[in-house]
Amino acid sequence: MGAVGATGGIAGCLGSLGIGDSNTDVVLGEPDRQFDSSDVPYPAWGQRIPDVTLPAPVESREVNLRDVERASLLTFFYSHCNTVCPVLISTQRNVQAHAQNNGYASDVAFFPVTFDPARDTADRLQTYADEMNVDAAAENWHFLRPASADRAKDVVQDQFGVGFERTDPEEMDMYMFAHSALTLLVNADGFVERAYRSKSPDEETIIDGLETVRNA
Amino acid sequence: MKRRQAVAAIAGIGLSGGSLWVAQNGLPGTQSRGDEQFPVRIETLDARGSTAGETLVPTPGTVTVVDLFATWCAPCDEQLEILNAVYSEYDEVSFVSITNERPSETLTRGDIADWWNRNDGAWTVGLDPGSELLSAFGASGLPYIVITDADGTIRFSHSGIAEAATLRTQLDTLV
Repeated sequence: MGAVGATGGIAGCLGSLGIGDSNTDVVLGEPDRQFDSSDVPYPAWGQRIPDVTLPAPVESREVNLRDVERASLLTFFYSHCNTVCPVLISTQRNVQAHAQNNGYASDVAFFPVTFDPARDTADRLQTYADEMNVDAAAENWHFLRPASADRAKDVVQDQFGVGFERTDPEEMDMYMFAHSALTLLVNADGFVERAYRSKSPDEETIIDGLETVRNA
Repeated sequence: MKRRQAVAAIAGIGLSGGSLWVAQNGLPGTQSRGDEQFPVRIETLDARGSTAGETLVPTPGTVTVVDLFATWCAPCDEQLEILNAVYSEYDEVSFVSITNERPSETLTRGDIADWWNRNDGAWTVGLDPGSELLSAFGASGLPYIVITDADGTIRFSHSGIAEAATLRTQLDTLV
């Protein structure tokens, strides 16, 4: 997904050269970093998110991520996770609460994508939402669930670059996953504005970025 | 689809909590701050051992145990139980527990207070709705315990459940 924006033609390319970090597909400037978006396995700043359609089991429908048409946050998790995922989901939940409290709930959307479809059924996701105080009935919250483990590998690992591997910890009576953390801030046109790699992404940074993106 | 780069430059001028935070603290970007930027003022809740209002974290001039928790975090119940046992042994130490959960319709201040009372909390409990403290301490998971000395310097921090013996050892060096 390297050459996003190349369809702008020669004039567009020259314009880009002038400023250095300009990209007309995104609102936020290039983040301060030591690499280019094309260097990393996940969709990063200025790149279009993968053309993926996934089931939203709680709502009994499917979502094409390029057709969302509002600023959105994506993250990748499994509900039996005890460490990283609850923090990632909690962050999204807190942003959802901020949106509800500040009158922009209908301008944003949240897409937590499970990579454990075997256990994360519609019922389980609803229970998990209640545990995490997520308003899963809100029209802006959409749990997504690839239809199979293979589909999860294809979408989450291969297309979104979030590596995960099943583990069977001796001290536990169930399987877990080793996985990386990713939260994406995507604009209404489906381009990545920010890719947060932190296991505890800074909530105020996200809210601030979201404000700029949704008001653009 | 053209968007003005200038839009990014005016981020933070609005009136949202996030922008206010930026106005007061500069652009976020670092995950932790220096000791000189503490204490942080937080909203406190009306709950057992706690009154609605504000408090500074850490407590100025006092050895302080800061307990970062969330109502969804099962091990945080256990951490509170451990803290309860230690609390009664250190009269001169300030204890404060803080959740980064943002109150909303699905989780009100009353719901958080109910959780606190149900788990026998007995000291000041407050809110960190922008996860400012969480970031300031560099906490990447919950529960997360920080102990500061009377000068407000962080002397101990621990991710996951901190055992009573560990807490006593740390506190004994400070009081």
